[in-house]
Amino acid sequence: MKFLRHLAAVVVTVAVIVGLGMLWAHASGGTGSGQAPSPEALARLEQIKEQIKAGVIRVHTDNGFHLADTGNLIRTCEIEAVLAAAVITVSTVRRRHRRTRRNAAARA
Amino acid sequence: MSAGRTTTSLADPPVTASRRRILARTRLDFCLDALLLVAYTLAYSLGFTGIATHEWLGIGLGVVLLVHLTLHWDWVIGTTRKLLRRGGRERFVWLVNLLLLLSMVLCIASGILISEVALPELGITLPASSFWRQMHGTTATLTLVLVPIHAALRWRWILGVARRFAAWRPGRSQ
Repeated sequence: MKFLRHLAAVVVTVAVIVGLGMLWAHASGGTGSGQAPSPEALARLEQIKEQIKAGVIRVHTDNGFHLADTGNLIRTCEIEAVLAAAVITVSTVRRRHRRTRRNAAARA
Repeated sequence: MSAGRTTTSLADPPVTASRRRILARTRLDFCLDALLLVAYTLAYSLGFTGIATHEWLGIGLGVVLLVHLTLHWDWVIGTTRKLLRRGGRERFVWLVNLLLLLSMVLCIASGILISEVALPELGITLPASSFWRQMHGTTATLTLVLVPIHAALRWRWILGVARRFAAWRPGRSQ
């Protein structure tokens, strides 16, 4: 029962956040497909299409599961590891500093 | 996902039964959090998974995130109420969690709104929107910064539970 009550509260919170996002999208007029592309962008698109036809750019049909770009996954893991290590280091240093100060105060 | 329910006999003293329940709840939290972290890392690596897996993982992540939030709702309410009385660290944790909640919810919602595979497979097609595409990119980057910080802020708990897991054998109460 408590779980269901909490779940209802969470769903309401999430709905409020999504609702605010929708309002933001509406206020900024961004629910459409955006501005018409510039002539430069259209020219670039044509260029890309030509490159695809010529085989300069290779496009593969994406049926979903292609565990090809492991570099992408490794990069994500690296970013996460670096940030987590930074937080843990700061936390440890601060804790040690606090303990040293407390010990010094106790001795004094 | 089940964290393994523990059963307590009527003969058990109340302290042991309570301890077992806490252990089961800790196990559930730990497994769910690990699952969320792995699923998030995979979902973020679009080049690794491909668009369809990315989208379905994102939707699954949204569901598990609801459970994660529900399990920690007591903490949310308690910390929010005591926010003015609490120290700097607890306030910082609360702020990180709030930002993560906002960015994760908006990231998953915008991901659903710009879906190219999952929603059309369910027979739902939405008009393309540059706003939601941009929102998805921005909030995804924000979550990549906030998720490791969110996890690392509880690293002592993670380490403690991991140690207990390493020592834990099924069938033993501790």
